[in-house]
Amino acid sequence: MVAQQKVEIEVVDEEGYRILRPSGDLDVYTVGSLRDAIGRMIDEETPKVVVDLDGVPFMDSSGLGALMGGVRRLREAGGDLAVACTREQHLKLFAITGFGEGVSIAPTVEEAAAGFRS
Amino acid sequence: MRLSLRSKIAGGFGAMLLLIVLLGWVTLSLFFSLRSVQRRVLNEALPGLVAVNEIVRSYTAQAGAVRGSLIGSQQTLLERYEFEVATAEFWQERARELFTSGTEREHLDQLIDAGDQFHALVEERIVPLATQGNRSQAFLVLDQQGTRLISDIEIQGELLRTAQEQALAQVEGLVRSRARQALIIVSLVLGGALLLGAALAYLLPRRLSRNLDRLVEATRAIERGEFEPDVQIRSGDEIEELGDRFVGMGRGLKRLQQLALQDRELEIASSIQRNLLRRSIPTTPGVEVVPLQRQANLVGGDWYDVDVAAAQVTVVVGDASGKGIAAALMATVALSFLRAERGLGSPAPRIIERTNEALLDATDPDSFTTVIYATFDVSTGEVRWLNMGHPSPFLLRAADAENGAEGYYLEGSRNRALGWFDDPGLAETIVRLQPGDRVFFFTDGFLEAKSPEGEVFGENRFADALLRHAPVGMDDIGERLVGEVERFAAGKLDDDLTMLAVEYQGAPASVDAGDERPSASGRQRERRDTQTGE
Repeated sequence: MVAQQKVEIEVVDEEGYRILRPSGDLDVYTVGSLRDAIGRMIDEETPKVVVDLDGVPFMDSSGLGALMGGVRRLREAGGDLAVACTREQHLKLFAITGFGEGVSIAPTVEEAAAGFRS
Repeated sequence: MRLSLRSKIAGGFGAMLLLIVLLGWVTLSLFFSLRSVQRRVLNEALPGLVAVNEIVRSYTAQAGAVRGSLIGSQQTLLERYEFEVATAEFWQERARELFTSGTEREHLDQLIDAGDQFHALVEERIVPLATQGNRSQAFLVLDQQGTRLISDIEIQGELLRTAQEQALAQVEGLVRSRARQALIIVSLVLGGALLLGAALAYLLPRRLSRNLDRLVEATRAIERGEFEPDVQIRSGDEIEELGDRFVGMGRGLKRLQQLALQDRELEIASSIQRNLLRRSIPTTPGVEVVPLQRQANLVGGDWYDVDVAAAQVTVVVGDASGKGIAAALMATVALSFLRAERGLGSPAPRIIERTNEALLDATDPDSFTTVIYATFDVSTGEVRWLNMGHPSPFLLRAADAENGAEGYYLEGSRNRALGWFDDPGLAETIVRLQPGDRVFFFTDGFLEAKSPEGEVFGENRFADALLRHAPVGMDDIGERLVGEVERFAAGKLDDDLTMLAVEYQGAPASVDAGDERPSASGRQRERRDTQTGE
C-alpha cells in the first residue's frame, strides 16, 4: 500500500493561466497532491496551467504520469498544461518517454505559457 | 463532568459519614438539652418547692407555738417560736436566691411581707398583752389578725407552689417537644442513611455490572469479527473511558484486518505476476538470454517477456508507471495484450499499436508503460526494435584483446510510451550484431537509483559499470550491476531493477532449429528473480 505524503504546491494567478509550483520530490508517494491540484483547475473558466518544475529535484514515472494525465484532462476541458523546466534529468525523462512531443516545455513559465494550444 | 469511580465511591461513603456526624450532633444536642432540664428541675424547681413548704410550715408552727404559750405560758413554746422564726428566715433567704424574677418574686415578697407583719403582730401586740396578763385580748388579736396573716402566707405559698408546678410542667413540655424533635431528626437521618446506603449498595454495583456486561459483550463482538461494537456507556467514569477505548481498539483491529486483507491481496497479485513472468526462458542456438529482476516491493511495474519463434528471438522489457498494485496491474494488462497479439502472429509494429490501443481504453489517463520490443534474427545477427519511451539499450561489443572493452548506448529511433497517445509513433531501429556482442535491455530503476545524498546513478555510471564488468560471464554480469547500484543507493532501492542480457553467439550451423520448442540441447534457463525491500 502506498502511504500518501504531501508536497507543497504554490498556486500563482497569472493573466489567462495559473502556475503550479510544487516544491519537493514528485514520486508515487507525493504525486497525489499534484494530481489533486490539477484536478481543481479543471473547473476553472480557462483551465490553463503551467507546472513549474524548478523546485522538484526528483521526479519518477508517477510524477510524469500525473503531468500526462493533467495534459489529457485539461485538454478535454478546453484548456492545456505546459511545463516550465530547466532540470536536465527531467528533460531527459520527457525525451525518453516521448512526453515532450505535443506538450509545451520551456525553460521559463512565460515561454511555456506562450506554447499553450489555442 | 467526568467523575472517577473512586470519587463516586468516596462520595457515597462521605455522604454516609456526614449523616453519621449529623446523627451524633442531634444526639449530643438532645443530651445537653436534657442535662439543662435536669439542672433546672434539681437545682431550681425542687429546692424552690422545698423552701416554700418549709416557710409555710414554719409560720404555721410559729402561730402554733404563740397560741400554745398563750394557753400555758410555757417558756419552751416561746423558744420554739424563735427557732421557727430563724428557720423561716433561713428559708426565705434561700427562696430569695431561687426566685429572682417575675410573679414568683412578687408572691415571695408578699409572703415575706405577711411574715414580717406576723412577727411584728406577735412581738409588738400579742407578747406585750400577754406580759400585761391580758391573755384573752392577746388571743383575740392572734385569732383575728394573726390567723389572717398566716392564711395570707399559706395563700402566697400555694400561689408560689402553683407557679413552680407550672414551671415544671413547662419544662416537661419542653423536654417532650425536644425529644419529639430529636426523634424526628434521628428518624430522618437514619432513614436517609438507610436509603442512601441502599441506593449505593444497589445502584452502583448494578450499573457497574451492567456496564461491565456491555464491555464483555463488546469483547465477544470483536471475537466474532464485528469490529465496531455498540458500546454505549455514559457513566462518566473510568468504565466509560474503557468503553471508548474498546470502540477505538475495534477500529484499530478493523484497520489491521484491512491491512492484512490488503497484504493478502498483494500476495495474490504478486503470485499472479510471478506466474505471468516466471516462464522458463526459451533458448535457441545462437542467442543466449539471461533475465534478472529485483523488485523493490511485493509487486511492481517492471515486466519482460522472451519468446522464440522461427529462428527469431523476441525480447521485451517494460516499465509501467507508478508503484505497487496499480503499476502491477498496468504491467499485467500490457503483457497480456502483447502476448495475445503476438499469438495472432502479428508483426512487431502491429503488436505495439494494438497494445497501445488496449491500454488507452483500459487504463486511467495518468498511467503509461514504456516498452522496448526487440527481435533478434539468429541467422543474420540483425536486431530490430521499437523503443516506446524506454531507456536505450546498451551494446557491449565482443571482447577485443587489443582494445579492451567497448560499449555504448544504442540510441536509435524513439517513440512515445504506451497508454498516452493515439499515435505513439512506430519507428524501428535496426542494428547488426557480431558474434560475442551483448545487448542489455534494462529499466530506469538502474538509472534513477538514488544515493543517500540524493544523487542519481545515471547513464554514465551505468555504462562505466558494464564496461568494467565486461569480462564477467553472462550468468553473473547482471548481478554485478545490481550489486553496484545497491551499494550506490546504500541498500535502499525505491524502484524495481530489471535487466535482460542478450548475447549473440553467431549463426548456428543449422538454422532450421527455429522451432518453438527448446533447442536440441534442451537448455532451459530459469528466470533469476530476487526481491529486495519488504
